[in-house]
Amino acid sequence: MPAGLSRDEPEVSPARVLIGGVGYRNLRDHSVGPVLVEHLAKLDWPQGIEVDDLSFGPIALVHRLREVPPYDRMVLISAVERGRVPGEVSRYQWSGVLPDPDEIQARVAEAVTGVISLDNLLVIGQYFGVLPDDVVVLEVEPAVEDWGADFTPVVAQALDRVEELAREAALDGLSSLRKEQLKA
Amino acid sequence: MCFKNLPVEFDEQGRAFLKEGVADPYSYDQKPTHGNGHPTDEQIKELLARNGHIQEVNFDPVTRVAGALAFHTVVDLEEAKVLESNSMATLFRGYEVILKGRDPRDAIFISSRACGVCGGVHSVTAALAIEMALGIQPPPLAIALRNMLLATEFLYDHPLHLFLLAGPDYSEQAVRSTNPEVWELATRTPAPQASVHGYAHISDIMTDMNPLTGHLYLEALHITRVAREAYVLVGAKYPHPQTIVPGGLSVTVSITTFNEFYPRLIQCLDYAKKAIAIWDDLTEFFYSANPDYRRVGSRPANMVDTGIWDDIDAYDASYERCNEWGDRRWATPGVIVDGELRTTRLQDINIGLEEFIEHSYYEQWHEVRMPTDPLGAPLSPWHPWNKETMPKPAGQNWKEKYTWDTAPRWDRMAMESGAYDRLWSTAVAQKMPENPFIHPTGHSLKMILPKGERPETEVEWHVPKNWGAFERNRARAYCIAYSGLVALNMWVKGLDLLKQGETAVSTSFEIPRKGRYVGAGFWGAGRGYLTHHTIIEDGALANYQILTPSTWNASPRDPWGNPGPYEEAVFNTPLLETYSESFRPENFKGIDILRTIRSFDPCMPCTTHIHTSHGDIVREVNTCACGVE
Repeated sequence: MPAGLSRDEPEVSPARVLIGGVGYRNLRDHSVGPVLVEHLAKLDWPQGIEVDDLSFGPIALVHRLREVPPYDRMVLISAVERGRVPGEVSRYQWSGVLPDPDEIQARVAEAVTGVISLDNLLVIGQYFGVLPDDVVVLEVEPAVEDWGADFTPVVAQALDRVEELAREAALDGLSSLRKEQLKA
Repeated sequence: MCFKNLPVEFDEQGRAFLKEGVADPYSYDQKPTHGNGHPTDEQIKELLARNGHIQEVNFDPVTRVAGALAFHTVVDLEEAKVLESNSMATLFRGYEVILKGRDPRDAIFISSRACGVCGGVHSVTAALAIEMALGIQPPPLAIALRNMLLATEFLYDHPLHLFLLAGPDYSEQAVRSTNPEVWELATRTPAPQASVHGYAHISDIMTDMNPLTGHLYLEALHITRVAREAYVLVGAKYPHPQTIVPGGLSVTVSITTFNEFYPRLIQCLDYAKKAIAIWDDLTEFFYSANPDYRRVGSRPANMVDTGIWDDIDAYDASYERCNEWGDRRWATPGVIVDGELRTTRLQDINIGLEEFIEHSYYEQWHEVRMPTDPLGAPLSPWHPWNKETMPKPAGQNWKEKYTWDTAPRWDRMAMESGAYDRLWSTAVAQKMPENPFIHPTGHSLKMILPKGERPETEVEWHVPKNWGAFERNRARAYCIAYSGLVALNMWVKGLDLLKQGETAVSTSFEIPRKGRYVGAGFWGAGRGYLTHHTIIEDGALANYQILTPSTWNASPRDPWGNPGPYEEAVFNTPLLETYSESFRPENFKGIDILRTIRSFDPCMPCTTHIHTSHGDIVREVNTCACGVE
């Protein structure tokens, strides 16, 4: 590196957690992700936790995540139809296991043509290496897919629980990451 | 003679009128669905029962998220030909119904959601329709910026199609598995334009077109980012801008905006040089490998386009002067019939439109709101200004109803639509504004791409003699250059306006609470033709009709039994996929059919099901998620 261009890097980067919503707006129950993160973004969070709506397309998200410092944990919120009881909330750790290449290409093709979907985001983000190792997913089973700004009662009732889980995942994540950094 | 089938003639001043002595001028008798040499349903059933080599090939709507296009074909694998084809739009989304009764301005934001790639084109088309209805003329800088935005949108759109969606059909992976002899030839064939794109052999191009890993695939992903960045510098948000308004834009621009825009545009123009060389080399290689590739996706060169990118000095939003400002567009409006330019007049294009629903899940409307256009020219009862969207779901029956798409026709002919229409009309008409970069010759379009990292380069798109899938893709590559150079022209004009202190970007207006106002947005999408027709009554949308490129291309048969463009192109496609002696039907990939459908850059995600006697085979045709209405 030429003289004068070196800079002091901090020995330990600050821990970073991103809470992200994924989904379409004005699609009733399917809008849980963007609507909830809009609410969460207005709350006070400790330094290191960011809240954002990630519904702008997985490829655009890949581009964006490549230009910001890496996150240590991601907490993704979305409504996804999986055949569960409507309003049911699921919390799981994204395995990072990718489908076969044809399937990944199908997801890319959907993504670049405007389809917004949590599954596409996970597969594409993983394939292009922009997701952290630690991705927590919070899903709500939607009751309806329809135009409108309101939720069905069962999904509306689930929002508090999702918020609680998101808060817990973000704060616990941040806390354990800091502990690990201190140990290191 | 503009119209050969509609009962419309013109006087010496060019004013249209109904032919005299025709009692019911727009009436018609419905003909059987199978025409043009297609076998009947009964004949197909008999063939299927009699011959093991005849397969029924279904392209069904089973995408995980949003299947909207399905395709059904019957193929004779022994004769290597398609016997029957039907295109089905399987999803009703109802934007036209949603918009009815709303504030006209809502159309800008709601119609944008019709597409996840090209939402901005719908926004602008809606703004144009309102401008025409209410007489709102945007200031010059707004027109220049709007053109810049919409040209930039295509710099995202075309690479995406050419290398992420259609490209994999021409990749090593695809060619090796469907035509190993073509792959083998590619490894021995030097690439004529190696000095431009850097690939020594055709096979090297194919390898880099492999999905997910190929350099050309990844490079296209990158260039979509560059184009998107350029767009948002002006439009703030993509693909659903909130800055498009009737009368212009709600943005603030400065010299800095232009300075930041420029290097991104130059990157895209550099990329165009490479993309053109690649698609030229690929196309010519396939033609030399087997001349029958010229027949893949072939159909008569019948096209319709309303033009795009207004001249800042000509556009006044009025229907009364639409022929004048239409002719001054940077992409000339045009109807091409059998490869010949029939008209460039926007009014002719408009009054020749009809939408039929004999094979669509809609109820027939009866009210004729507008027997004539605002200039007094006759309009068909089936014209978009008269159409009313009344969904009526029903079972699928090839002889009766089988799609949510309508059958749009111009002069009662099936027309296709694509970015290439604007190349063709502009090249032949020679009416575009004088400029330093784009020169129509009457049979070609010469374009001078400025120096970037690559040297200044002149490219020339020639009107092709044969029209088919390969030419659609090749032309789309040239459209990257064309769109980029229009953006560059607008960049120069916009900057000049700023320097002159012409900084206004919008014209104020009010929505009148009383009265009836009629407008149409004549514009274009990445995939070609786009119109919005509206009637505003007492401050609300009384009717709103959207006609997209895919409405044209995915059209079902019309009342006379003539197929839509997808149907016709697939029907005409020879099956060139290699079948070995140990061939099994389930290994049939349908690559030639897929190349044909994808060459239209269809606005609908579609999963293909190939049904054979050995079970279902699934092939995906994921494309722009914009649907027919």
